[in-house]
Amino acid sequence: MIIVTGASRGLGRAITERLTDRGEKVIGLARSINGLEVEALECDVSEYTSVKNAAREVKKMKTPVKVFINAAGVASMNMAVTTDESTVQKLIQTNLVGTIYCCQLFSPIMLRQKHGSFINFSTIAVALALKGESVYAASKAGVEAFSRTFAREMADFNVRVNCIAPGPIRTDLLRGITDAQIDKIISQQVIPKQFQKSDVCDLVELLIDERASSLSGQVLNVGGV
Amino acid sequence: MNIKQAKEIVIQAISDTIEGKSEVAEDMQLIGGESLLDSMKLVEVCLLLEDLADESGFEFDWTSEAAMSKSRSMFRSVVALAEEFANQSEA
Repeated sequence: MIIVTGASRGLGRAITERLTDRGEKVIGLARSINGLEVEALECDVSEYTSVKNAAREVKKMKTPVKVFINAAGVASMNMAVTTDESTVQKLIQTNLVGTIYCCQLFSPIMLRQKHGSFINFSTIAVALALKGESVYAASKAGVEAFSRTFAREMADFNVRVNCIAPGPIRTDLLRGITDAQIDKIISQQVIPKQFQKSDVCDLVELLIDERASSLSGQVLNVGGV
Repeated sequence: MNIKQAKEIVIQAISDTIEGKSEVAEDMQLIGGESLLDSMKLVEVCLLLEDLADESGFEFDWTSEAAMSKSRSMFRSVVALAEEFANQSEA
């Protein structure tokens, strides 16, 4: 069984669909599960109790969890000086704290199995220090730091932890970003092209493959930095 | 479950985890330099207690605030863990 947060939209939805298409049993976690075509649980990753309840429900299923994918996230493209307090809180609480809550509360299931893999989501904005994304990048830099260290903590239990850091992928998170801004970002990548949700899904498939068993504590920057 | 039963269960769980290599005292610390358990072994003890709780019909939550809090952590000693185990069995 594979669990995907943020399964109702954007990358989370695309990943859920890709994995379902290849025959995986997927449980989607989302704040609103209406319209989700997979088995789903309501879960707000920014709320500790909500994540804990979801973990309890999954544990009751008594089905091995082979992968947990933290795809839930929010974005706000703004200079730090023009980012209001509630947006700062929301970015950190959802992107960073939400990822930590999910890893912390779902990891006992994998510790028991002595097998599993977490895939967390960062952004290429961390490595490229993109102007106008300071708070968003800070929240995701936290995810990278957490993931690298968490990977060491999980390694003794044969649980891997990796991050995917996409560039500007066409999702709702890119609302309000002009084509010129996107071009400027992708020009800084090693491979200067705009990648698609399907490319990210390919990387997810790569990371969950048993042949990726030597990979842990890594950040895969889509397009390269 | 009373505290005496809980202590026996916790001491047995720790002893099983360390394969009886040392005597388990009630006041033994479970985290820190004095502990017989490294973090991996401590997780194994918790998973074992989770199983035993399951068999007894209750849920043992070792990721709670009580587990994490430094000052009143259930991991500060064998007795503290046994007390928390007994409390959760009654909840």
